[in-house]
Amino acid sequence: MKKGLALFIVLALMISMFAGCSNNNNSAEASGSEQESVTTEQTTGEVQETQKVEVDTETLILSEAPELAEKVGTGELPAVEERMPKLEDIMIEPVFDSIGQYGGDLRFPWRGKKDKWTLEKMTEEALFRFKLDGSGVEPNVAKGYDVNEDATEYMIYLREGMKWSDGVAFTADDIVFYYNEMVLKETFGKSPYNCYYSVNPETGEKTLADVTKVDDYTVKVKFADSSVLFLERLAIDNKWMFAPKHYMEQLLPHIVGEAEAMKKAEEMGFSDIKTLGKYTGYYYWIVQDRPTLRPWLLKTDTEAAVARWERNPYYFKADAEGKQLPYINSIVCQKIESSDNIILESIAGNVDINVFELTDFTLLMENRDAGDFRVTQWSGTDWAGNAVVFNQGVEDVKLREVFTDIRFREAMSVAVDRVELAALVTDDLGSGQQASVPEGLVNFKEGWADKWSDYDVERANTLLDEMGMAKGSDGFRTYKDGSDFELNIFQIEIDSTSEMGEFEALIKKYYEAVGIKTNIKVVDSTYGEELIQSNGIVAQTFVPALFNVALRPDNIVPIRNYRSWYGSYGLYYSTHGEQGEKPEGDIALLQEYYNIIQSATDKEVVDEYSQKIIDLHEKNQWIIGYTSPKPRIVLVKNNLKNVPSKLIYCDEFRGYGHSKLQQYYFGN
Amino acid sequence: MVPLVFVTSMVVFAVIQLPPGDYVTTYIATLQAEGEAVDQKIIEDLREEYGLDQSLPVQYFKWMKNIVTKGDFGYSFSYNKPVNDVIGERMASTLLISGLTMIFTYVVAIPIGIYSALHQYSIGDYIATIIGFLGMATPNFLLAILLMFASFKWFGDPMMGLMSMEYIDAPMSIAKFLDICKHLIIPVIVIGTGGTCGLIRVMRGQMLDELDQQYVLTGRSKGLEEKKIRRKYIVRAALNPIASSIGWNLTKIFSGSTITAIVLNLPTQGPIMLGALRNQDMYLAGTWLLFMSVLTMVGTLISDIVLAWIDPRIRLMDSRM
Repeated sequence: MKKGLALFIVLALMISMFAGCSNNNNSAEASGSEQESVTTEQTTGEVQETQKVEVDTETLILSEAPELAEKVGTGELPAVEERMPKLEDIMIEPVFDSIGQYGGDLRFPWRGKKDKWTLEKMTEEALFRFKLDGSGVEPNVAKGYDVNEDATEYMIYLREGMKWSDGVAFTADDIVFYYNEMVLKETFGKSPYNCYYSVNPETGEKTLADVTKVDDYTVKVKFADSSVLFLERLAIDNKWMFAPKHYMEQLLPHIVGEAEAMKKAEEMGFSDIKTLGKYTGYYYWIVQDRPTLRPWLLKTDTEAAVARWERNPYYFKADAEGKQLPYINSIVCQKIESSDNIILESIAGNVDINVFELTDFTLLMENRDAGDFRVTQWSGTDWAGNAVVFNQGVEDVKLREVFTDIRFREAMSVAVDRVELAALVTDDLGSGQQASVPEGLVNFKEGWADKWSDYDVERANTLLDEMGMAKGSDGFRTYKDGSDFELNIFQIEIDSTSEMGEFEALIKKYYEAVGIKTNIKVVDSTYGEELIQSNGIVAQTFVPALFNVALRPDNIVPIRNYRSWYGSYGLYYSTHGEQGEKPEGDIALLQEYYNIIQSATDKEVVDEYSQKIIDLHEKNQWIIGYTSPKPRIVLVKNNLKNVPSKLIYCDEFRGYGHSKLQQYYFGN
Repeated sequence: MVPLVFVTSMVVFAVIQLPPGDYVTTYIATLQAEGEAVDQKIIEDLREEYGLDQSLPVQYFKWMKNIVTKGDFGYSFSYNKPVNDVIGERMASTLLISGLTMIFTYVVAIPIGIYSALHQYSIGDYIATIIGFLGMATPNFLLAILLMFASFKWFGDPMMGLMSMEYIDAPMSIAKFLDICKHLIIPVIVIGTGGTCGLIRVMRGQMLDELDQQYVLTGRSKGLEEKKIRRKYIVRAALNPIASSIGWNLTKIFSGSTITAIVLNLPTQGPIMLGALRNQDMYLAGTWLLFMSVLTMVGTLISDIVLAWIDPRIRLMDSRM
């Protein structure tokens, strides 16, 4: 009896195991057939444009959210006409789909302070912001500008009647104060941004700009030499060029004295004056009660179980019908411990918008009805989905000789079967290609994506043989002089989640098939950062992303100690030769071209040399890419409207912010 | 005990500094990831600001001095708040969840253990053992994920966190209380089942040992009720090892089962401490480790006391000596 019972239980367990397995197969088939009905076309860099509006603002009749109207009724707030700039200076925000209605709370979970930049980008109001397709900047906080012939003098016009979120007027004083008392005096822990310097084309000397007030609503920015791209660089480096003078002058130590500043720091819960300066001057959007111009203001602690960003009653934008924006009442951020939790909450329908990785695509698509949401794809500015770089400035002399040899890079590129790799790593949602500027961005070149992208093991072997790296008895290649050759590829973790290791394991397989002994080293982000700083990375899996060489080249031009593929050449440039190593050849050319761009006196020169830098990358292919750039999978709740279905999602365009959250609304 | 605490604190402080880099390196890595450019000068300024450029003994001495004289456990770099605030914020929910799961574990395990022993080799015994072993063998976080997914599939709501979003800022009410109870089901089951198995088996084993003892036979022959024998003699003796290990649960209560808490999004201490260790947030991590070691020692003391209370033999042994 006992033996019989035991046998029965064991059989029951085994049967349930097999039943479980076959269930998995069924669901895999089901999701497979669903996949077939969805297009797996790669989105190009097209953007959805907003609706064109021609509005004569002087004839607008302003209206506001019902909650604000109530407060006006009880006298808590002034009327909407007094809270917004005067009619002819109001900014009209065009919408993506339709004029919206007030109401609703946007649910967006976050990890507290760790995700402060995500919320920053969502609510950012820069002086000038990037146009939707990134082709230039357009006025935002500023009303407009004028620039003289040789780009040495900019006149920036502000909006009359515009106010800070506490009702105090926003004027030219705020810009001048920010520049002179905060930027120049380095009160928030940063040295003056690159954009405020102009470069002398002959001597290469950099001088800071002069910012002065012309009248209450006009500011003059004067440079010693031409600064053709000043506004674009401002939009990248500093974004906002203002701070509330009435608030900051009460806590800057060089104005009120150290004792008073320290007292204020303690009142606000900061440990010392430097932290006070850093938070009120730089990370200001998470400091409660610090006046801003943003559509929503943080009203709770960042680590609260639910952080709330409430509507700013003094926001300066309206829609084409005169309704003061934003439509949505508040952004509600539930605190979560790790990003894994978001996807479960999302498919349960508790999240209104979020961006996911390609690997979550199937799960999201399967649960669209259950969670009542739609899935769109936004494009990024990555050059590839997966790529490998070999440190061109690696300290080991023998390794450097190998890495800087273009035949080695070609060999490692053609040794990999991109079709198979893409099928495995991206579940066939992506394809194989070379690392190149993606379509839709400036500098895109037809055909670059196919360079060295054939699967040609013979050619790889031929090239490596030509280099003198003969195969040893164990099947692995050696240096020219016969010593063992080993390739250590580093993989730096970004956070504890996601599919680490698949791509690397496959690369190792392909490399070793042509005789290159490969080891994959996974390091956490802190240690990885240290290695980069000390030029300890030999090779790395790394994907560059950038939308414009002239404005943010650090990923592909060595101008500071930032990326591993250019060794210490970047450090050499940023310390003006004091540290790091002097580059030669094409890498030195990269730095030279960048210098020319910085001191250019007109846009044609900028464009010409940007293209030259890109051409150098195409010629040398320092970054070897294997799969196509991964689109960003976006989950949007079905009742959330005015969310563009195509967008370029990148850091320079401020992520979600580029989709203009202030015009999102909840409809049916 | 006090010298032991000091030695532990020194070891703890040294261990935290062992991984390469320090908080500033982590901080810079974070800044880079966020897209900020960091120059060398800032790096040096930061080191000075956080006091990380001074030698280890100096840092330790300053930290200890503040703890002993002011009760100030230092400043958390990543949270930009005093350590006391960071830990204090989550104490209540940690104690709630851990306390409940501990009570659940003991209340469920001990009776099952007793039943198992008294009805050895019966169906009930086997079922209890199987479930117990399943709970022990499955990793807690996996069980948590499975239960959350099951809850999502059948009830449409994964029950993450301590309560639903509507109730988080609302004042306490019947509805809120019920909501919290609903959310507590999964954590209590997950964390509880992990611990019950061991207890069941220990209880069962101890009981079986005691059942054959001389004094039980004597009691029975003298005509004592079976129930009284069980309660006053067998169970009390069998509880010995369990009582002696209660104290060690003290640390578990205060850390709140880290991985499960992260998966279930519970606002307990565990995730904070994990974050502190990964970011090399020196004072926060150091304080927590110090706290844990002190708790372990206090726990052992508590165990001794509980044991002496339950088992008169130990009291008598002492007085005879």
